[in-house]
Amino acid sequence: MTMNTKNFKLNTKVIALGLASLLIYSCGDPKPADGQSTDDLPDTDTVKAVALNVGGELFSIPSPIQTALLIQKSGVAYDKAILNAGSKNSQYISDFSKSLNLGIYGADLGYVSMYNQTQDALGYLGAVKQLADKLGVSAAFDQNTMKRINDNISNKDSMLVLVGIAYRASDAYLKTNKRPEISSLILTGGWIESMHFSISAYKAKPTDEVKYRIAEQKQALGSLIKLISSHNLADAAGLVKDLEDLAKVYEGITTKYNFVEPTTDEAKKTTYINSTTEITINPEQIEQISSKILAIRDKIINVKS
Amino acid sequence: MKTNLYKCLLILSIVGLSSTAKAQCDSIASLCSKHIIAKFISDGQSYRSLLLNSEENAEFHTTFFGETTYRLAACSGKTDGNLIFNIYDQDRHLLFTNKNYANAPYWDFKVKSTLECTIEAQLDPNKNAGSGCAVILIGFKQK
Repeated sequence: MTMNTKNFKLNTKVIALGLASLLIYSCGDPKPADGQSTDDLPDTDTVKAVALNVGGELFSIPSPIQTALLIQKSGVAYDKAILNAGSKNSQYISDFSKSLNLGIYGADLGYVSMYNQTQDALGYLGAVKQLADKLGVSAAFDQNTMKRINDNISNKDSMLVLVGIAYRASDAYLKTNKRPEISSLILTGGWIESMHFSISAYKAKPTDEVKYRIAEQKQALGSLIKLISSHNLADAAGLVKDLEDLAKVYEGITTKYNFVEPTTDEAKKTTYINSTTEITINPEQIEQISSKILAIRDKIINVKS
Repeated sequence: MKTNLYKCLLILSIVGLSSTAKAQCDSIASLCSKHIIAKFISDGQSYRSLLLNSEENAEFHTTFFGETTYRLAACSGKTDGNLIFNIYDQDRHLLFTNKNYANAPYWDFKVKSTLECTIEAQLDPNKNAGSGCAVILIGFKQK
């Protein structure tokens, strides 16, 4: 016992002094910011994991911009009425509500940009900024990128690229600064809104492309449920339950996957994924998904506290 | 008294090293983002994980939608080619590994029909002596 305690004291001293030396050494290095030179980086990190996610599973949620692209391509007209009014941002009081609606406004910004609606884009950009400020994460939206968005507001292609960059930067910032739950809720809001875009578009103009995009969300939904559940947020219990109910509808959608060998063009650094998936979804399932998404979105955007 | 001092020093050091590791992940992500060139739209996420050795995998499941071209960028450290990434379909068929192409830091995928897949990343044991921050970024464009 005495010996163990002694060893512990010795180990504590050695580890503390060793780590302190490393820390002092590392303090001499400037912290690189986004877009700056990375010449001072070590080739590989020898720093052991301390608080970062180590190995394991990460989660991927489809971009709402990708859905908006599909909808515009399918010939559905711009419809401002389907969006969440930017002026409602002052109604969102809790961090939970603000985070979800920040995701919704981000998706709406992508949607209006897709249709080159400059005036509406300015409104949603303002709503994103205000909500991020109120959430205390305005630093997550890099000022330089936000200025570039503002400067390119009438250029659709640039806008879509910049909005994607802004949300990726905010995702990275929130994960780095121990606010991953906010990042997860932003992704959730964006996904719900993109589903709402798809459902509204399908009602306005039923096309197979949009129908299949609605049906192809099983994995994304499963990832979202795992992602939100991983934070154990008391506020999120109802949302998780609603998403789990939605997942039950997706369980009934059938898919048939046919593997085909991919082909690669090395010179173009491109691989062609040739496999095919046949998906079957019936009108009743579409209706069930539609009503559940509508109800979840309504709870998010019309929250009073 | 001395023990408390060492404990405090240890805690402060751990906090400091945590920040350093995160800053390194940020820098790698910044470097990696240069591979997602302007014709691709970012999916809005930054996938990152600290891998303690070359036997550890970071993995995530994603959906590649049909009629879309994706670009994946995979980075660790300050130079390209330190990270191996593999893409599997839902039946664990290997669709691609950058190991066959000198650990290429980015690759494009033209997807015919929507499929669910798993992306795994690990440090190349021939290039990484210890741990490393793995960063994967995804961009897309319509065909």
